[in-house]
Amino acid sequence: MRGDDVAVGPFGGSPIEPGPPAPAGNGSERRSSWRSWPGTASPTVWFAFGFVALLIVGAALADWIPGLANPGIQYGKFHASPTLDMNGLFGMDPIGRSIFARCIYGARVSLTIAVFATLIGMLIGVSLGMLAGYYRGFTERVVDTYANALASLPPLLVLLALVAAVGASLGTMTVALGILGSGMYARVTKGAVISHAGREYILAARALGASDVRIMVQELLPNLVPAFTSIVPPAMAGLIIVEGSLSFLGYGIPPPAPSWGGMIASTSDVMNQFPYLLLGPMLAIVLTVYSLNTIGDYMSARINVREGQL
Amino acid sequence: MTVVSETSGRLLEVENLSCEFRSEAGIARVLHGVNLTLDKGMTLGVVGESGSGKSMLMKSILGIAPRTAKVSGRVVFDGVDLSTMQAGERRKFLGRRIGIVFQNPMTSLNPVVRVGRQIEEAGRFHFGWSKAEGRRIAIDLMADVGLPDPEECYTQYPHQFSGGMKQRIMIATALACKPDLLIADEATTALDVTVQKNILDLLANIQQERRMSMILVTHNLGIVAGRTDDTAVMYGGRIVERGPTEALFTDPRHRYTEALIGAIPRTDQPAHTELRVIPGRPPELLRPIPGCPFAPRCSVAEARCSESTPPVAYGADERHTFVCYVPVGTPNAAAAAAAGASTEVN
Amino acid sequence: MDSQPAGSAPLTGQAPTEGYLRDESLLKVRDLHVTFRRGHRTMEAVAGISFDVARGETLGLVGESGCGKTTTGRAILRLLPKENSGMTGSILFEGTDLGLIPNSAMRQVRRRLQMIFQDPLSSFNPRRKVWDIVGEGLVIQGVKKKEIAERVDAALNDVGMSRTMVEGRRPHQFSGGQCQRLAIARALALGPDLIVCDEPVASLDVSVQAQVINLLQEIRERKNLALIFISHDLAVVRNVSDRVAVMYMGKIVEVGEADKVYARPAHPYSRTLLEAVPMPDASIKIKPTGVASEMPSPSSPPSGCRFRTRCPRAQQICTDVEPQLRQMPQGQFAACHFPHSEPAPGVRSSPSVERSGASF
Repeated sequence: MRGDDVAVGPFGGSPIEPGPPAPAGNGSERRSSWRSWPGTASPTVWFAFGFVALLIVGAALADWIPGLANPGIQYGKFHASPTLDMNGLFGMDPIGRSIFARCIYGARVSLTIAVFATLIGMLIGVSLGMLAGYYRGFTERVVDTYANALASLPPLLVLLALVAAVGASLGTMTVALGILGSGMYARVTKGAVISHAGREYILAARALGASDVRIMVQELLPNLVPAFTSIVPPAMAGLIIVEGSLSFLGYGIPPPAPSWGGMIASTSDVMNQFPYLLLGPMLAIVLTVYSLNTIGDYMSARINVREGQL
Repeated sequence: MTVVSETSGRLLEVENLSCEFRSEAGIARVLHGVNLTLDKGMTLGVVGESGSGKSMLMKSILGIAPRTAKVSGRVVFDGVDLSTMQAGERRKFLGRRIGIVFQNPMTSLNPVVRVGRQIEEAGRFHFGWSKAEGRRIAIDLMADVGLPDPEECYTQYPHQFSGGMKQRIMIATALACKPDLLIADEATTALDVTVQKNILDLLANIQQERRMSMILVTHNLGIVAGRTDDTAVMYGGRIVERGPTEALFTDPRHRYTEALIGAIPRTDQPAHTELRVIPGRPPELLRPIPGCPFAPRCSVAEARCSESTPPVAYGADERHTFVCYVPVGTPNAAAAAAAGASTEVN
Repeated sequence: MDSQPAGSAPLTGQAPTEGYLRDESLLKVRDLHVTFRRGHRTMEAVAGISFDVARGETLGLVGESGCGKTTTGRAILRLLPKENSGMTGSILFEGTDLGLIPNSAMRQVRRRLQMIFQDPLSSFNPRRKVWDIVGEGLVIQGVKKKEIAERVDAALNDVGMSRTMVEGRRPHQFSGGQCQRLAIARALALGPDLIVCDEPVASLDVSVQAQVINLLQEIRERKNLALIFISHDLAVVRNVSDRVAVMYMGKIVEVGEADKVYARPAHPYSRTLLEAVPMPDASIKIKPTGVASEMPSPSSPPSGCRFRTRCPRAQQICTDVEPQLRQMPQGQFAACHFPHSEPAPGVRSSPSVERSGASF
C-alpha cells in the first residue's frame, strides 16, 4: 500500500514506534534536552524519583543495611557533631543515637502512613465518588454532604482529639488520616466521572450491553488515572507533614520509635547549642515532600501531554 | 510603512509564504512557499482538508499565527509591504482593513461581555467612536446582518443566541471597521445547512453593497462552486491549483482537485453510487517529502513526482495555474488503475 | 393508533397515514414520543413519529440540529439517559417491543442491534487498547475467549484492517477514518442485523469520508444489513439510502423512496433543505436571497404545522390544523396542506460530474 502504514496521532503527533526512515533528511530536530517542555525528565525529576525509590528501599530493608547503627541504642557521644561516615552523617541525638539511622527507620512511619492512609482514602473516596457521579441525584447529594463535612474538619485538631481519646498508634492514625482524606478523593472522582459519563464511549459501552458496574470499573476507572496522578503525590506529601507535626507536638507515635517529627521535638530544647541536630530530620521531611510534589507535577504533565494529543 | 507599488486593483499579494512550527517531536512545516494574489472586489475560495494549511495561511497573512510559529515570505496589502512592519503595527494596520470570521462562534465571542459592546469594540479602538456613536453603529450593523430587534440584542449576552445568530454577530463585529477584505475561515462549518446558506447569502449581499473583497476558506467544494470568482486548492501546505472557479470545476488539472471533486457525494446522483476514493490520508507535517505532497496518494504518480516539485503550468485560461507533472488530460498516464472504489485503509 | 387524522380534509383523497408502514419489517417504530426534562421545563424532542426499516434496507433519517433524529436513534437502542427523559410509543424489533423488556433481555437483543457514533475518537475509551474495545461486545455477551479472537479478527478484516495493525495500540494512535472503521468493526463483531449510524462521516475529511461510505455500502451488501443512517448531510444520505425520512422539530414531514423524495420533494421544508445544499458545480451561480428566518425554539413549537413560520406557502389552515402524512401523487408521503409536485430545485448532471467520474 502506498504511503505510510505507521499509525500516528490525528494531528501528526510523534509516532509511537519508528516508521520508515524519512526519505529527505531535512533535519527533523530531536527534542532539545534543555528546552523545558512540561513532561520532560529533567535532572530534578530524576532526583525526585531516585530519592523516593531509595527511601522506600532503605526503609524496607533497614535491618539489612550493612553497618547501619541500631537506632535504639547509643552509638556515639551525646550531641556529637556530624562526621563523614554513614552513621555519623547527621550527628548524634541527645542520647547518642545515630540520627542518620533514626532517619532511615523513621521513614518507615512516614511512608507507611503516607501510603496506606492514601490507599484507604482512595478506596473509600473513589467508590463513593463513582456512585455519586454516575447515578447523580440523591446519591450525589449524600456524597457531597459527606465530603463537605470532612472538609470542614481541620485534620490536625481532629487527630489531636483522637489521639487524646484513644491513644496514638500507627494503625489508628493511618485509618483516621485515610478517612479524613477520602472526602477529597470522592470529590475529585465525582468530578471526573461526571465529565466522562456523558461521552460517547460510555454510550457505546451501553450500546454493547455493558452493565453499570462494568462501565464504572472498565470504562470510567481507568480514566480517573490522569486526575489522580496529579493529586496523589502532593496528598502524600501533605500526610507526611501532618504526621511530622503531630509527632512534634508529642501526639504522634510514642517514643522510642523513631519518627521525623519526634526527632525534631526531642532536640527542640537544645537547638540553640547544637543546631546541627535538626539537619537530619528536617532534610528528610523537606526532601521527601519536595520529591513527591515534583513527581506529582511531572506525572500530571506527562499524562496531560499525552491526552493533549487526543 | 513603505508603499511598494501603485495599487491598481490588486488588494493582496502573498509571495513565497512559509510557516514552520517547533514542537516536541520536531519541526512541522505548515506552509511551503505559498503565492497568492487577490484583486479588489474579488471573491476567492480557498479549499483544503485538514492539514492543508488553509487556516494557517490566513493567520500568517494577518500576522496572528501562534508565537511558536516561524513565518517567512512577503505579504503586500494594498500596496503596503507588511513585512517591514513591527508585529504590533501590523496588527493595528490590518485589524482595521481586514475582518475575519472564524468557525466556532461559541469560542469567538467573549461569553461575559455584552454583544453590542463586542461589536463596537474594534471601532472604538481604531476610530475613537464615542459611546453613543458606537452604539448607533453597532445597532445598524446588527440590522444589516439580519438580527431581529437589534436594539434588544445590543444588551444581550452571547449565550442567548443560537449558532447562526452568533455567527451573524461575528460578521457584524468583523464589519465594524469597514474592512476592505473579509475572510470567512470555515465560518459556516458548524452550522446547519439552511443556516449556512443564509449566512453565505448574507456575506454575498454585504460584499456587493460594500464593495469588499472576500476570501472563503472551507473544506467544502460545494460552497465555493457557486459563490466565488477564483478558487485555490491547497494540499500539504501548498497551493496545488488555482484559477477561475468555473475553469477549475469544468477542467480540473491537478490530480488532487480532480479526485476531490469525484469524492463528493451529490444529491443528483442515484443511490449507492460508488464514490471516487482517495487512498491513504493527509500528509504528516513532521516529515515532509520532496516533490509533490499528493504523490503518495496519487493513482498516476510517476517517479519524478516524488523527487522534485513540479513547475507551474497553465490551463486554458492563463489565470488557471497548477503544479503537476501528470495533470488531467495527459495521455498514457500509465498506472491509471482505479478511478473506482477501493476500501484501502487510509 | 390507526385513527384517521381528525379535521383535515385530505386534499387528494389518498390513503391514510399508515400507508407507508409495512407489516413485514425488521424494525417498526410506532408513535414514538421522547421528552426531556430540565429542571421544571420539559421539551419534546421527538413528537410522535412512526417508520419502519426492512431487512437489508437503508433508511436515511435527515434533518437539521434539533429535529430529533439523534434522539430517535438513541431511543431505538434504549440509550436515553434515565434520569431526565421519558419515552412513549413502541419500538418493535423482530416482533419484540424494546420498550417493555427487562435489561437482561435487552442485552440479548443488542447482539442484533448496534450503533456507530459521530465522533470516532471520542466513541473509544482513550485508556483502553483498541483490540479490547472491538471485542468488548463479545465479552459482555459471554462468548468464549478463543471465539472472541476469531470474530474480532474477522470484523477487522471486514473493515480492511488487521490484527497486526491494531495490536497493542490505543485509539489516539489512529486517524479519524481508521477510528471510524474500528467503530464499524466493533459493531460488526456481534453480527447485527441492523446498525444505527449517527452522523458517521460528519467529522471526517472529504477524502476519508468517501472511503468510509464505500466501506459501509460494501459491508451492507455483503451481510444484508439494515441501516438507519442519521445525518444532516443530504448528499451523503442520497448516496447511501434506499428510503428517506425528513424530520423537522420532532416530526417526520416527508418519507418515502429516496429516488422519489429527491427527485420531486413534496414538503416545502424538504425543498428548502435541498436548495440549501451546496453543490460542487460551478455552472450555477447562486443568487443570494434575502434574510430568512431561523428555526423557532423547540420547547414551544408553533401550533398546527411546525414549519409554518418559515413556509412561503403557509395559510390559515396551517395554523389551525396539523397536517398528517399523506401519500403524494409522486409516490412518497408528506405532511403538508399545500405540497409541491414539481421536480427538485437544482441541477441535472453537469459536465464536471461526468469528467470526474471517468477513469483515466
